[in-house]
This record gives sequence, structure tokens and C-alpha cells, in this order.
Amino acid sequence: MPIPTPPRPSPVVLATVCVLALASPATASAEEEVAAPARAVLEKYCIACHQGDKPDAGFNLPRLLERGSPATQRKPWRRVLENVEAGMMPPEDQPQPTDEEAELLAAWIGGEFEKADCDGPADPGKVTIRRLNRAEYDNTIRDLTGVDFRPADDFPSDDVGYGFDNIGDVLSLPPILMEKYMAAAREVASRAIDAGGEPPATLHDGEALSAVNGSAYHDDGQILASTGEVAAAHDFPREAEYVVRVVAFGQQAGDQPARMELRVDGRALRAFDVAAEEASPGTYEHRFRAPAGSRRVAAAFINDYYDPDHPDPGRRDRNLVVRSIEIQGPFRGPDDAPPPGHDLILVKRPATPEEYSDSATAVLERFLRRAYRRPVTGGEVAKLVRLAELARENGDSFERGIQLAVQAVLASPQFLYKVEVFRPVRDRQGKVVDQPNGVPLSDDEVAVRLSYFLWSSMPDDELFRLADERKLHDPEVLEAQVRRMLRDPKSDALVENFAGQWLQLRGLEVAAPDAGLFKDFDEPLRDAMRRESELFFAAILRDGRSLVDFLDADYTFLNERLARHYGIDGVAGDDFREVKLAGRERGGLITQASILTTTSNPSRTSIVKRGKWVLEQILGDSPPPPPEEVPALADDSGGPIVGTLRERVELHRSRPDCVSCHLRLDPPGFGLENYDAIGAWRDKDGDHPIDASSEMPDGASFSGPVELKAVLKGRKAQFARALTEKLLTYALGRGLEENDDCTVEDIVKAAAEDGDRLSRIVTEIVKSPPFLRRKG
Amino acid sequence: MSRLKITRRTLLRGAGAAVALPWMEAMAAARGPSPEEGPLRMAFFYVPNGVHMQDWKPKEVGGDFDLPSILEPLAPVKEELLVLSNLAQDNARAHGDGPGDHARSLSCFLTGVHPRKTDGANIEAGVSVDQYAARHVGSATRLPSLELGIERGAQSGNCDSGYSCAYSSNISWRTPTTPSSKEINPRLVFDRLFGGLGDGGSADDRRRRGLYERSILDFVQEDAQSLRGRIGMSDRRKLDEYLTAVREIERRVARADEDSERASDVATARPAGVPKDYAEHVRLMFDLLALAFQTDTTRIATFMFANEGSGRPYPFLDVPEGHHDLSHHGKDPAKQEKLRRINRFHMEEFARLLKRLKETKEGDRSVLDNSMIVYGSGISDGDRHNHDDLPVLLVGRGGGTIATGRHVAYTPQPLNNLYLSMLDRMGVPCERLGDSTGRLEKLS
Repeated sequence: MPIPTPPRPSPVVLATVCVLALASPATASAEEEVAAPARAVLEKYCIACHQGDKPDAGFNLPRLLERGSPATQRKPWRRVLENVEAGMMPPEDQPQPTDEEAELLAAWIGGEFEKADCDGPADPGKVTIRRLNRAEYDNTIRDLTGVDFRPADDFPSDDVGYGFDNIGDVLSLPPILMEKYMAAAREVASRAIDAGGEPPATLHDGEALSAVNGSAYHDDGQILASTGEVAAAHDFPREAEYVVRVVAFGQQAGDQPARMELRVDGRALRAFDVAAEEASPGTYEHRFRAPAGSRRVAAAFINDYYDPDHPDPGRRDRNLVVRSIEIQGPFRGPDDAPPPGHDLILVKRPATPEEYSDSATAVLERFLRRAYRRPVTGGEVAKLVRLAELARENGDSFERGIQLAVQAVLASPQFLYKVEVFRPVRDRQGKVVDQPNGVPLSDDEVAVRLSYFLWSSMPDDELFRLADERKLHDPEVLEAQVRRMLRDPKSDALVENFAGQWLQLRGLEVAAPDAGLFKDFDEPLRDAMRRESELFFAAILRDGRSLVDFLDADYTFLNERLARHYGIDGVAGDDFREVKLAGRERGGLITQASILTTTSNPSRTSIVKRGKWVLEQILGDSPPPPPEEVPALADDSGGPIVGTLRERVELHRSRPDCVSCHLRLDPPGFGLENYDAIGAWRDKDGDHPIDASSEMPDGASFSGPVELKAVLKGRKAQFARALTEKLLTYALGRGLEENDDCTVEDIVKAAAEDGDRLSRIVTEIVKSPPFLRRKG
Repeated sequence: MSRLKITRRTLLRGAGAAVALPWMEAMAAARGPSPEEGPLRMAFFYVPNGVHMQDWKPKEVGGDFDLPSILEPLAPVKEELLVLSNLAQDNARAHGDGPGDHARSLSCFLTGVHPRKTDGANIEAGVSVDQYAARHVGSATRLPSLELGIERGAQSGNCDSGYSCAYSSNISWRTPTTPSSKEINPRLVFDRLFGGLGDGGSADDRRRRGLYERSILDFVQEDAQSLRGRIGMSDRRKLDEYLTAVREIERRVARADEDSERASDVATARPAGVPKDYAEHVRLMFDLLALAFQTDTTRIATFMFANEGSGRPYPFLDVPEGHHDLSHHGKDPAKQEKLRRINRFHMEEFARLLKRLKETKEGDRSVLDNSMIVYGSGISDGDRHNHDDLPVLLVGRGGGTIATGRHVAYTPQPLNNLYLSMLDRMGVPCERLGDSTGRLEKLS
């Protein structure tokens, strides 16, 4: 099958001048002189396997060529280039190209890459309207209303695309989520604004009750047959008065009724005689003050009585049965501070009924501007005021009306989605004129992109002010803002959400190492693992350190628990601190227990998962696809397999249809075999000494993690590019396109000129065209 | 202990509701089938990573067959059981898309459609059979359908070789581009089923609440409309999703009064949250599912024992290794034995639910008689990763339209043919679903 001639690079990619030059017949034929022999090489050695309905490795060469020059299809062609340069393709059992032929092909691909012109108009791409994800929703509610109770914990998880959960195209809104938005809006409004009336009551019963020295009583409540207590954990939203109501009865005996003591966090509040019996349980009520926070509210049985000799068998044993504990509140006393939303939202209140409408307008205009994250029109505010007035017409208070309006705003699409308005440029006839380099975002839209990138939350007053002043396209202002925002603790969100997903730390939460094999593994260790990686990332980000530290560093962050796990002495206590490392067995991402654990199976390490992690997260290289119906670690003999993991993996690799993938996948995984499935150092796997040597496809060989790190450091540029691509994907909330290649190159170059600082990459992303402009 | 207790209590209350309101003649008369017959339900249960087929497939075909070890727990409902062999989901195969079998298997299982390979933009599979049915019969009940599971969608990474995590965590697809997320928290399931019904206040309070809620829905719909004119085409697709979801809530608000007459007794036993213990979690979800069917709060449900490709260990079965890892057993008998233990455990839980549905009477029949419950996986043998001859069970007599108590071996054909036959019985007109080639014969 003949290979189609690749069309020339599309004019979008090239500067207008270049298009003219390329279009001249002389240049075209000069180009042909290089391209034709290169295609002949492809045809001779590659095409037989990589074509048709089921091309090897899912890689269809004719289709790729049809799509255009390598300059416009960099990712797949970069892989071709690597394979050819490393001699990995064609496979050994196939005819091999001569060195000249391989060079010719490489020169052609390389030459096409060079042609991409980054000085011309760059297509900034199009970001699909992004729904707030769970983290963004929680943070936005916190900053908008002042109430911070993680309402999104109840939401279904956000779908992930391109490795992140903030991708507009992927985030959907199923009806169940809309129900939760409605419920959360109601809850937030009632927590943020005190509208008088009865505060909410929470009933703890059934499973929500736990007993000390007690047990389940038939199908309802808990029985205390001897001294003990029944307790519920309750979240007190703020310091205020609360009423606790205990429904209980006694199984009476002796000469006094059962006695019950109410306790909060172990402190006795009040004691009751519980004279009620099972036929009609009593309700015992007490009003008290509680500071904000989660506390344990308990009903204790304090006068146990047992006399087996009592003449009346029905009066021998005294017990207390607690059916439920209800807590109502907060009740606001005259001296109590109002809920947080009063400062942030209720900026004006009507002194007389005549002022109702003016006050509602003032309150809601400010609220709507912050909730929609842009200036709002009088008409928009008026609609909302009408909603608030509906409450008054029905006999409710001003505050109730504002609650209602807040509730509606929090359920509206302009709050739930980060809206970027479609602003086509039109000609005189009103026809849309294509703008090759897009149009600038409004300053408000830039503020939103900035704040959700660095804080996973809404803009603050300073960003809103800068947007009002139209300063957010000014590179110096942007640089200053990035510096300010990274210093703000809210930028922990970037660590949690970007690093958490890039490094796949979130997987650590569900990792379940085999408790029989890894007796050391417990929750404090799990937390410490995550913490090390987060602190490490945060230090590199905030302290202007180099991204090379990710590959290898002579420091890390440890507490006693983790230091012990690593066999490092001299770290005492639960607090984390920066620790200078003596040896290099630790230091750098790939030596961190968090990553080593998430890339292991519960009972053993996984060479492939670890190799894949290094390839994808560090080198930005998606491993080539295995063949369909891949036989995983099976052999051809039909019998069970024996031997060490390494031997088995090598056996698997020996199959010709597996070898090409595993030549890339496995080496980094082998290099990490000195770490067990929870990241502790080991010299043996069972009885077998660890062999941690291997060779990268390009021939770089190493033995053990220290040498592997050196090899990876040698690929700093590749890592910088991979990391930039991930960060840019996260910042934009969309997958990257070929058009973004120039942006990535520019950012990597700028960072290299500034000591490879991670913070420089962040700053350059914020100043880049795809971040500040959009198509259409 | 306290966990078991609340479960029992939920059960009792549920049964109480059913007795007090012998599933509501008035209501049944108003919509659909006669009270003696009961409404027809359908449910789909999914296990990941395939099963150990050697211990699943009965040796004999027909009415006289022995239950292999994985199916043994179904002995009490063998008379209501059909084992269906040789049904396939061909679109779970690669067809040139390379690896990603787990993602494909799940998103294909109820759709019969080959999902688009992407880990980002433009996820697309097909409308799943449950949602297809919900579209037609869902308006008869408070919830058109119920999507349940144990594990949240994955939190990071692409989940399976370049497929978005949406594919390996969602079995139910409302539209080809909108998966229906599942609920994993029993407390929140309870709230969806029974929450907001019959909660107090005077008639005037209720009237005001209803008025406010409707006003909010009006406001947000107007807001969406005003936004529509200012955004691009692809953004409008997202906004349409929003509007569909809002309309569904509107419908529910309109029904609220009617619904609050039922189930108010059930509404007191509210689970506390997600149990730490896996088995307890599954049981609680099954209790709620049984209640939902019993009270006719929904007639359509899906349940996922875990996400596809799940690496969950089962330490309480003495299986500390991950499920997925074990499923690639490489014929190691020790691993196969552990796999069988996992498969059998899932079956035991499933059997417990079926028994309960069988014991819940509706007139002369049981809820199970009035159900069609599919149990299976989109992968046949987890070691071979094949998608023909899938493990598929159909339990329940479909309101007397299905002759159960048999093992039927078909000539190889699409699993979707079974779905087409089920839709017929639900009274849902459908000529083709996914890759269906016709109705499945030999069911009645």
C-alpha cells in the first residue's frame, strides 16, 4: 500500500510569510527531496505491521500520515522518532533499516518539527464551560458565604479526564448532583444567615449512637445494663446555645429511679431522674452553650443497681435505655456574634419596611457580583430582589427573603459553572470572522481562571478590584498576583488538587497493603506518606526551588513515624520538618513511600505499575498499547508459573508481542525493586537478593534507585516538558492540542533560563496566550 | 452489633410499611397494573474482573442442572433462576482501540455500544437499558431509577489505558454522553428514597415551602436561558444537561404531596453513613434497594459491587491480594481458589437480597416474581479477558412471563437481545438497542 503524501503544515500553524514561501513550487520540490526517501523507509520497514483495522500497538501509520506533517502531530511522531533512534523498532525478528536509512528518517521528522513556527498567530484553544468540581465548590462556598462545612462530601465524585477532575468537557451534571446542589444551597443559606425562627435539629439514633459498656436494645436504642454511656458525635457549627434532648426510659429497680447524666466531651452538664418506663419513654432536655467544633454528647447511666435477692423479680435490675439524642441549635443569644454570612452577605438591613427593597437590592447586588464572579446588571439584581420579596409577601422576615435569594443563586448555572462568554468578531454583514489567535478574555474571566488555578476557589476582593481596573492582562500585574497568591495559604489547594492528582496521591487513600505481610502499615504511616509528598511539592513551589529536585534531592520532609519507616535516625515527634539526607536512597519523588505504595499491589510490588508511573508522570510518555487480549503474566505452557517476580516478568517479556512495550515499561520498575510494596528499603525479595539493574530503551543502564535517578536527571528537559504539560492542562481545564506545543516550549525555555524554578512555570502559564485568550 | 440492629430495624419498618399500605391499591389503580399483580421491576447487578467461569457454568443444560460452586448460594431461589450462556458483548472488545478492556466492559455492559476511546473530551458510550426503560416508565414512580454502588469513581489518573474514569465507574448511561453517577452512601440513598416526605409543619408551612422551591426552580431556569444566548455551541450542551436535571427535580416537587402519603413510616430509620465494613455496606444498600422496590419508589435499579478493574482486597475472606491482580491468575490454583472465594461471596450477598424479595409478598406473588434481575460481568474469564459467553443470570419471573429454573445455552448472540426481551415485558417499545440483533428466545 502506497503511503499518502503528507499535506503541508496547515496555515494556522505557520506565519503568513512562511505559507507563501512554502507554497512556491521550488520549495515544495526541495522538501519532497527529503520527504520522499523518508517515506520510502517507513514503507519498507514499518507499514506492514502498522496499518489496517488492527495495526500493531494500535498505531496506524497511513492514517497518521494523512493527518498532516509531523509538525502538526508531534506526539505520535515523537514516539516514532524515539523508537527509531533507540533502535526499538522494528522488532528484532524483522528486517532492520541501515544506519543511513534510520538517520534519514530521523532527520526528516526532526526537520518537520523545526518548521513549526511559534512566532505566528497561536490558536489559544477553546475551554468548555467548567462546572465547579467538589473541591472548588467547597472552597467557593467558604469564601463566598463564610460557612465552611464541606457540603460537597456528599456529592458524587467528579469524572476525571487527562488525569484531572477539573476538565470542562468531562464534568457532567447528572440529576442526582442537581438534587445535591439544591439541598446544599438550602443548607448553606440557613447556616450563613440567621433568619430567626427555629434553628435546625439533628437527631442521632440507630447507628449514629455508640455505647460504652452498653449494647443494642432490641431494634431501637442502646441499653446500659451497668455504668456506662451512650454517645453521639455532633458538629457544632459555631459558638452559641444549643438544646439537647434525650429520649430515654429506665428499667426501674431498687428504691430510686434510673439516673442519667448529660455530658459534653466528658464534662457533666446536668443529671436527670429518668422515671419514665418503656411504655412511654421520657424526653429530657437541657440548654447549654457550646463552642464550635465536633464534640461528643453523651447520656451516662450513673446509678446501676443489681440485687438478685430482691423479692420482686421485676425490681432486681436497674438499667437505662437511650433511644435517641437530639441536638437543636445554634440559638443566638443577644450577645452572640451572628453567623459568618451576616458580615459577608447582609451588608445592609432595612430599618423600616419602606427600606426593604433598597436594602435587598444593596445586599443582593454585592452577593450576586461575587457569586457570578463578574459585574451584574440592574435587571439581574431586580429578578433576585423579586424572589426575596416573595418571602415578605408570605409573611416571612427580611433575612428569610435573603436566604431564599442566596439559595436560588447557589443553584443557578452562572454560579455552578465558570462561564466564559462567547464574543465572536463580526464583519459588517454580521458574519463571524475567524480570529486565528482568538480573542482576549475579559478581566473578570482572567481573575476566575487565576483563582481557580491557584486556589481552587473564587477570586478575592483584590482580584475583583484589579479586574474592575482592567489590569489583569498586564504581565507585571499577573506576576505580582501569582507571587501573592502562592504565598496565601489558600494555595494549599494547588498542592492538594494538582499534586494530589499528578502524583496520584489520592490513590493512597484507598491503598490497602496486605496487613499480614506489612504489619508496619497503619493510618499514621499512610498520613505521613501523603504529607511528605505534599510538603515536598509545596516547598519546591513556594521556595523557588528547581523542578530537578523532584527527580533527586538531598532533602525531604519527615516526622518520626516516616523516618523510622525509612530507617533514618534523629527525627523525633509527630511534626514534620525538612531533613537533610545523608545517602541518596531517599530524596526525590520516586523514592517516596506514597508513590511507591500507590504503584504497588496489596501484597507485592508491581514493576509494570511503577514503570508506567515513571513513564507517564515523570517522562510524559504514554506507554505504547499492549496487543488486544493481552496475556498478563501467563506463559504458553498452560501450567502455573513459578519463579521470582522478576523472572516471571522477564518470561512474559520474552514473547515477541509483549517485548516492545515492556522494553519501555519495565526498566524504571526494576530500578525501584529495592523498595517493597509500602516503600520500605529491602535487599531481598523473599529469599532472593534484589536485582535492581536494568537498561532504558536508549541504552542507558543503571543499577538501583540512585543510578536510576541519575538517568532521569539526564532527561531533565523531557521531565520539564511533561510537568509543564500537566500543569497547563490543569490550569486550563482542557486537554492539550498540537497548537499548544509552542506554548509549552516557550514556558519550558523561560523556566530553564530561571533556574528551572517551578514557580516560574506557574507564572509563565498564567501569562501565556491560552490562559489569557480564547477562540471565539 | 449496632449496625446489624439498625439493618434489622430498617427491615422491620419496611415490612411494616408494606403491611400498613398493602402497596397501595389506590395508587396502583391510578397507574398501570392491577394491585394483585404488582408492578414489574428490573435491576442489574455488576461484578468486576469477570468470574472464574469453570465454577460458574453449569454442566447440564435445561431444567435439571446442578449449581456449580459459585452459584451454590442461589439454591434457595433456584426455581426463580435462569443461567444464560453464550451471550456476548462484542463491543467490549478492542476493535482496533488497543487496551482498556475494563473500561470498555463496564460502559458496554448495559449499552451494547463501543465506547469512544478518550481520557478527556467527548466521552461517549450509549444509552443503557435501565435508562432507556426509565425514560418510558420512570415517571410512574418517585424516582425514575436508582443507581447504587460501593466505590466512588476513581479520583485521579486515567483509569484504564487511555479511557476516562467515567467509563470504568459508571454502568448506567442516561444519554450517550452523560453517565448517571451512582450513590454509595446509604444515608444519602435513604434521603433520596424517603427524605423530605411527610416532614412536619402546618399546611401553610408546606404550601410556602412548595412555593419557594418552585420559585427557585423558575429563577434558575430563567438564569440558564439568559446564559444560553451568551455562550458557544459546545457550552450549550453542558447547559442542556443542567436544564434536564432541573426539570427532573421540578417533576419530583410536583409529585411531593402524593408521595408523602406513602413511606412516612419508613422515613424514621435513617442509616448513619458509609459502613467501614464492606459486607455491611453491601447489605445496607441491598436493604434500601429492597425497600425501594417494595414501596414502589422506583422500578429500575443498578448496583455495582465495585468499579471495573477493582483492585480491592477481601481481607475478611482471607484474601489480602487485590481482586484485579488475582483475576490474572495465570492458572495458579491458589489464586483461582481465592478468586472463587470472592465470586462466591458476592453471590452470597446477592442471594440474601433475592431471598428477601422472594419473601416479600404482593398479592399472591412475591416482589421477586414481579422482577427481572440481571447479575453479571462484562468480562467472562478475568484471566482470558474474553467478552463472549459472559457470566449472566436472570432472576425473577418477570410477572409470570419468564419460565425460570433452567440453564439455557444459546447460539452465540448479543447480550443486548436479552435486554430487548426485558424491555418488551416492561412495556417499553424498542426495536434495537446497541448491537441487538433480535429478541432472546426461550425465555418463556
